[in-house]
Amino acid sequence: MKERAIRVGRPMPLIGVICEPDKIDNKRPAVLIFNSGVMHHIGSCRLSVKLARSFADVGVLSVRFDFSGIGDSGARRGVKSFNETGPIEAAEIMNYLQEKRGIKTFILYGLCSGADAAFDTALADNRVVAYSQIDAYCYKTALFYFHYYKSKVFQLERWFNFSKRMIKKIIIRKDNQLGVKENTYLEAASYIRVFPHKKVVESGLKTLIDRGVYLNILFTGSEDNYAYKKQYRDSFKRIDFGSFLELHYLNRATHIITHPEHQILVVHTITDWLMFVISKTQQRP
Amino acid sequence: MTPFFFGETNKQLYGVFHPVQNKIKRDSSVLLCNAFGQEYMRSHRAIRQLATLLTKQGYDVLRFDYSGTGDSALNLEQVTAVDWVSDINVAISELQDISSVTRIHVVGLRLGGLLAAAACENRDDIESLNLWDPVTSGLQYINELKHVLSDEKSFNENGELNSNYQDSTGAIHFNGFALHTEMQETLKQLNILNIDLSAIHQLRHIISHQRVDSQLFIETMKQQKNFMSTFINSPYDWNYVDKYGGILLPQPIIQEIVNCLI
Repeated sequence: MKERAIRVGRPMPLIGVICEPDKIDNKRPAVLIFNSGVMHHIGSCRLSVKLARSFADVGVLSVRFDFSGIGDSGARRGVKSFNETGPIEAAEIMNYLQEKRGIKTFILYGLCSGADAAFDTALADNRVVAYSQIDAYCYKTALFYFHYYKSKVFQLERWFNFSKRMIKKIIIRKDNQLGVKENTYLEAASYIRVFPHKKVVESGLKTLIDRGVYLNILFTGSEDNYAYKKQYRDSFKRIDFGSFLELHYLNRATHIITHPEHQILVVHTITDWLMFVISKTQQRP
Repeated sequence: MTPFFFGETNKQLYGVFHPVQNKIKRDSSVLLCNAFGQEYMRSHRAIRQLATLLTKQGYDVLRFDYSGTGDSALNLEQVTAVDWVSDINVAISELQDISSVTRIHVVGLRLGGLLAAAACENRDDIESLNLWDPVTSGLQYINELKHVLSDEKSFNENGELNSNYQDSTGAIHFNGFALHTEMQETLKQLNILNIDLSAIHQLRHIISHQRVDSQLFIETMKQQKNFMSTFINSPYDWNYVDKYGGILLPQPIIQEIVNCLI
């Protein structure tokens, strides 16, 4: 395994690290690892580095990089939203790998805003053959309410915590009225996550499945809109995902995968799926 | 800004070199030493911004990741605090080479302050050591983490598995990063009060909040001619973690560090 820092694009380059296996097979797809929120390219709890090295161990090249304005990449001029610039910048990295390494197909990985960028990029670029998302766009179903409330309603501690949160909210509201000096020092995420209308995502997913794009989607316990494993399939019932969708629900995991056992599980799950996708896509003409 | 790997082939360190952005280049350069764990994640933007501001004041600046952290080689289980101190010395040499200077200013945030102090001991090429909210004792740092762990429950209020705990091997897991026992032992050997920093031209202590250990440090060091302590009231919850990995950018203290170096 070999790692090298790269600068891609001008005048303000995207900064990243290319992680190469000992032997490169340019018929295999390469993986692009996206930022999670405002965290730089090593990912939450270094998860992106662990994923990249795990991919290299099974012979897959990857690039973890910062979108413009995040981490080590400088901000670029312009008024486009992240939903627009994300796919454009991801395409720059794909172009780079195509030109320098002869790789023609790509797999994307993203958590949170990175998951959203993976969806947008896959729609915009036919070179994407698969993506893996953690806490992707999701929508409530009737069963969601059953699963969500059954686990909460009968726990006295939850009622206690709920009351505590409500009191805290009232206190914070009062504090805010007095002035929010603390906010002067905090940099809020420049990406405000808004789920598109369900029909938009459904239409996009249909396009991707029709194109034969493989999806690996993991949800964590932190995702408030998700409450049971099959919810993703249930919420998009009109789409026949077939074997193109692999779904996981880590209900004890936090959104940024802080627990070491969950980190190991996520790395293994995605790496195994990656090998499955490679075996499938290499059968294609 | 140039990202690159440096150091020994089998344990490469990831660094980002920020070349001077001023017509006049100073005859010394600046090395920035990171905090650890979530504190490192949360301060990444602040460290980058500090680097950029310093380049405008005539400095070449290097920031880098310790072994087993960030983009650098190895995993946390494979390194100790001794390696991290050694990494800082490797980074100083690298910066001297790239920048063609001898004299180096070192800035260390939180645990980076303690590690930088250990690395700078017995060196005669350090122009200034700037300790930003430093951890002053490895033992105290470990004890503080353990104290927080003692209050943690197995599951948080959302039913998620709590990731702050000490496992059966003794490793401390905190906000997604682990300190294994050998790391803890080597950190415990470090105490800023036991480090001879008299050869450093200027020793600056820049803090955003008052603590008992920082008061003790000030009391002990104030006899030294090279010592200066500055208090800049600003937030300091470096180890806080939220759902989106929110970052902390305490502008007044960043600006104060720049002011100290010009």
